[in-house]
Amino acid sequence: MTDKKSNDLEDLGKLPGFKRGNPTYFENEVIDHLISITLELGAELWVVKDRLAHVEEILSEENEISLSSLRTGKPSDLLQEQLDKERKEIIKRIYGRLYSKYGGETVDEKSAI
Amino acid sequence: MATNEAFYKRGKTAGVFPSLSSRRDEAYMNFIEDARNLLLHAQQKPIGEYSKLLLNNAGKSMEPDPSSTMEAVELLMKDNVLKTYYRIKRTLQESFWECTYNSLNMRKNDLLQALDDAEKIGPGSVTYDPSFSIPEYATSEIHIQPGGNANEPLSGLLYDYGSKVFMGGAADNDMFADMQASTVGVPKNNKVNRILDLGCSAGVTSSALKRIYPDAEVWGIDVSSHMVRYAHARAIEQNYDINFKQMLAEELNFDNNHFDIVVANLLFHEVPVSVSKKILSETLRVLRPGGSFTLIDFPGDKTRDVYTMFFGEMDAADNGEPFLPGFVRSNVEEIMEEVGFEMSPYDPSKFILAGRIGFKPNN
Repeated sequence: MTDKKSNDLEDLGKLPGFKRGNPTYFENEVIDHLISITLELGAELWVVKDRLAHVEEILSEENEISLSSLRTGKPSDLLQEQLDKERKEIIKRIYGRLYSKYGGETVDEKSAI
Repeated sequence: MATNEAFYKRGKTAGVFPSLSSRRDEAYMNFIEDARNLLLHAQQKPIGEYSKLLLNNAGKSMEPDPSSTMEAVELLMKDNVLKTYYRIKRTLQESFWECTYNSLNMRKNDLLQALDDAEKIGPGSVTYDPSFSIPEYATSEIHIQPGGNANEPLSGLLYDYGSKVFMGGAADNDMFADMQASTVGVPKNNKVNRILDLGCSAGVTSSALKRIYPDAEVWGIDVSSHMVRYAHARAIEQNYDINFKQMLAEELNFDNNHFDIVVANLLFHEVPVSVSKKILSETLRVLRPGGSFTLIDFPGDKTRDVYTMFFGEMDAADNGEPFLPGFVRSNVEEIMEEVGFEMSPYDPSKFILAGRIGFKPNN
């Protein structure tokens, strides 16, 4: 049993995630890259949408806008609430289909615990 | 006194986390946190059912059997849905560290200066030794956090913000730490004068214990000077009188019978089993008779079905936890008994993170 356990631990070291750098989960690593690319594009798209909404909020209240207010300022609580809702909807709509095979396409918000 | 204002230049997020350096970074991390919640956490149940169906169809028993975990891995990781799930998990993990690291690094000098300034003020204290020898096991990049806990000067901040995202909001406002601290064993005769938090990292559990026992002397120790420096600054912001010290849990520099309560919250799966045994012996030594030790960590393999073992060990790999598989196989509650703790019964099936409670016998 002891030998079996240590063999198990050695085998676990072969799992993709134990590799540092850029581990692959698919036989064809292009698929790994494409999934990472779509997630990164989604995040960057969200950054732009968030920025645009922030710009619109500032311009609706003031005639001028400064780069520093965009870079380090924060949107109002009301806008933040709207953004939080919109962001979740976008993630569900774009990425939920990945799991449709097992009926998990309807994603609900839950915490980690 | 308050922490240097540079620390909170853009205010706070979800409690006492310093907000990231720019709105751009905040928006990016909001996306990553939601993606983790919606594409990973919310999928755990359906993906678990799906995986169990695959195991069942292949004639695999669900009975606890750690020796067959690799068979489950080989079987399940042929499936494209599961490959996708684990690919997403790893990518989001790498993305959130990269963004957090770059964002904090943009104002590294200001943040380190704020930590220097915090050392000179109270309440509480921080003590560390720049020539401290870090054991090799503590230098790995656990959680794939850049630089690891011991070698990156901003590791405390990184870990704290990383925990917020990793926990998908459950750690906000110290909620998770408060929940965990509420499960800590009460020592016999109920007297609590001194508390020790082993492997305190950002000091979140130390602060939660201080909220429960405000009059107790609370100590938090960690192998990383960078962690205790941040823990002290964080405690100052909450106005808690806590002493943080760089120290190895396996070489405690405290007198025998000194503490009423010792807690190790998610420390044991980050150290090799050989070190765990030393930590348990030291813990028993510094506890007073009747004192309680609470070890909060993952359940052992005797209580986990094959799928849960598979999930845990994939998680260990993807989250950079090299010692987690060895820890769950060690069934640490048995080692606690061997070392000499008087164990309280516990039901690991009720918790994702099981709290084993042991007492130091009276003789």
